Amino acid sequence: MSIQPAPADSSSEPADDVDAEALAAAMRVVPLGAGVLAGGAVALLVLGYLAVYLLVFLPRGTVG
Amino acid sequence: MRNADRLCLAHFWVAFSAFLAACVLGAWQMWVRSPLGAHIGTPGQYFMSVTAHGVSMAYVLTTFFIMGFGYFVAVTALNRPLPGLLWAWVAFWMAIAGVVLVVIPIGMGQATVLFTFYPPLTASVWFYIGLVMVVVASWIWCGLMFVAMWEWKRANPGKPVPLAMFGTVANALMWLWTTIGVAAELLFQVIPAALGLVQTIDVGLARTLFSWTLHAIVYFWLIPAYIAFYTIVPRAAGGRLYSDTMGRVTFILFLVYSLPVGMHHLLMDPEHGNGTKFIQTLLTAFVSIPTLLTIFTISASLEIAGRLRGGRGLFGWIGALPWERPTVLATGLGFVMLGFGGFGGLINMGYGMNAMVHNTSWVTAHFHLIFGGSVVIMYFAIAYEVWPRLTGRDHLSLGLLRLQLWLWFIGMVVMTFPWHWLGLQGQWRRVANFNYADPIIASWGPLVIVSFVGGLVLLASAFLFVRNLYVLHRAPSMAAIARPLYALAVHPPHRVPAALNGFGLWNVLVLVLMLSSFGYPIAQFLIAPSPGAMVHRVR
Amino acid sequence: MSEAHTDIHEPRILATELLWAFGVGILVAATLTMIVFTALTRGINPPSNVERIDPKTLHLSGEFAEHNLGTTVAPDGSVTVRAIATQFMFAPRCMAVPQGRRVTLRFSSPDVIHGLLITGTNVNTMVVPGFVSQVHTEFTSTGDLLMPCHEYCGLGHSEMWATVQVLPEQDFKPGPDGRVSCAQR
Repeated sequence: MSIQPAPADSSSEPADDVDAEALAAAMRVVPLGAGVLAGGAVALLVLGYLAVYLLVFLPRGTVG
Repeated sequence: MRNADRLCLAHFWVAFSAFLAACVLGAWQMWVRSPLGAHIGTPGQYFMSVTAHGVSMAYVLTTFFIMGFGYFVAVTALNRPLPGLLWAWVAFWMAIAGVVLVVIPIGMGQATVLFTFYPPLTASVWFYIGLVMVVVASWIWCGLMFVAMWEWKRANPGKPVPLAMFGTVANALMWLWTTIGVAAELLFQVIPAALGLVQTIDVGLARTLFSWTLHAIVYFWLIPAYIAFYTIVPRAAGGRLYSDTMGRVTFILFLVYSLPVGMHHLLMDPEHGNGTKFIQTLLTAFVSIPTLLTIFTISASLEIAGRLRGGRGLFGWIGALPWERPTVLATGLGFVMLGFGGFGGLINMGYGMNAMVHNTSWVTAHFHLIFGGSVVIMYFAIAYEVWPRLTGRDHLSLGLLRLQLWLWFIGMVVMTFPWHWLGLQGQWRRVANFNYADPIIASWGPLVIVSFVGGLVLLASAFLFVRNLYVLHRAPSMAAIARPLYALAVHPPHRVPAALNGFGLWNVLVLVLMLSSFGYPIAQFLIAPSPGAMVHRVR
Repeated sequence: MSEAHTDIHEPRILATELLWAFGVGILVAATLTMIVFTALTRGINPPSNVERIDPKTLHLSGEFAEHNLGTTVAPDGSVTVRAIATQFMFAPRCMAVPQGRRVTLRFSSPDVIHGLLITGTNVNTMVVPGFVSQVHTEFTSTGDLLMPCHEYCGLGHSEMWATVQVLPEQDFKPGPDGRVSCAQR
């Protein structure tokens, strides 16, 4: 098999096997989990940044 | 049409061969500079290796992989034959010739200037000519990407360009804009110096021109990984892309904001003032936004997949994901590395904090983790996805693919985390051998050894990766791959605004931003050149 | 799948993305504000004096002539350290600085690009031929610090470093010419 172009249709990919009802049910909750996960990760990032800034960088003296 | 298979495979094999060779060199370098290899190798050998390693990873692996993947996307996402196939092969062979011209002087010790080739250190002119040829070949690729998208739009008026191609063309545009800097530096400054036409060189101008290229080039490397996140990963996980619109916005933000920020690599340089440096920090903060948007959108897309598979509760969807699939595993591991790598990057870009880490092992740790880690692991995932489609053979078992990905992740963490710490202790970069008799340096020894062990794990992973691809060429031919590659969005768009379907407006914005950020910093050298430094040949 | 079914999702999807983008934007703005604040109140800046000098005649006369290198205390009490970075050494190889006082460090290069940092401090700068690099700082604790060249400058780069001796106030005694040398150990 090689990468053959398929006949063009209304969407550029054939339909997937995702069930419409299941997707609608999932979409009632999404993106709550993602929001918490990504938000938590970013919060840790910010805390880490502040920690390095206050505890490592500033004690080493001002530079200008 | 079958030729496009060979075109893609040719590019990928060159990329991955250079990658494997560079991994061997990298492991050797780590051994030599650790206490274990303290009396092995000369500085000449070490820095020759560093030059070869950097050139292979930063210029060969990346450019060839991205060109190959771009051709693949142009055919499969647009469902049409590649326009200008002959030109694509011309570009390929030009790039190969360029690589040969680069490698020979390096091997002869006449180009030991590292992949950043900071003038006034000056190598053999063939080294630079080779680099120019690789860049020009990539410009041909850019042209073909534009033509492919333009022809598709003409044949499909009013329809949204498939997201994978939109991202590819955004990347090609960004590459054209960013290579102007290094091309100008090479053509007007470095090559004349290497030819002996000039005896001095304006170093302030050279560094500024190089910095023009230096940041957006890493986004050039990164965007294919993001194309995979948006257009391949959701389908591989069995779900949908949360938002096609955000995908387009992300690629546009990268195009616009990765270009004018190159001078944040010059925060410690004396040739630019506070005002320029503060603006650079400001703009660099903006370029963090597309990544922050991406982690949300892709997490949401994975959440859809997880919930469709029965995951419940706030985090149950994570466990429910099909982690046995290499693409999903690579994404998870890649996101973890992206988090830590991004953290390092935020510290680097700090107007004040850069002083704490510049040119220390922290920087080495950062770019190995973010590029070698999160980006390259997605290159592996892409390769594992497209190889069956290119060769007509499927992977016999996924276990060795997963093992390879895990080894890469573990090796990268073990190698780079100690480097972050060592950088904060003041360990500096590009050292052939440390004086372990000095007490400060001696205290670093154990962590350097730990880091070296990580490098060995990476080397094993690199060999396994190449093996996993090679065996597909030997496997028995199988039936056509059933699973489609590209993801659908939750709401597949039928129309998108012109601003999200093309780049006319964004090119104007790029021009404005480039003039605002680089205009004066470069013009100052043209109006009043800085005192020239003597050209310094490395022979 | 019907279009209407998927249509109801899209506005909500965009709303959540905007909410996330807004939150992220606040974080970015807050971090930048903090940077501006510390820059203004504590004078924390990257080294940025933009001062040109001819590398080809650097060492012959003027500020960076050999007899003028090292630590000098001016009549008004200000402490200035001058050093040259060259392939493959710093001149002088040892610099004495006082603890707890503002010190100005000035560097230049007659040949290729070098760079330096001082371990345990935030002193860090590139040394670019054609320019003078200047850093102001205050050394908080006494002891011997390492000042390596941290940018590749050729094959001898690995052996290029200097020592910075941070002396307590009572040991930091300038001679009649205002010069201070490293204590012999």
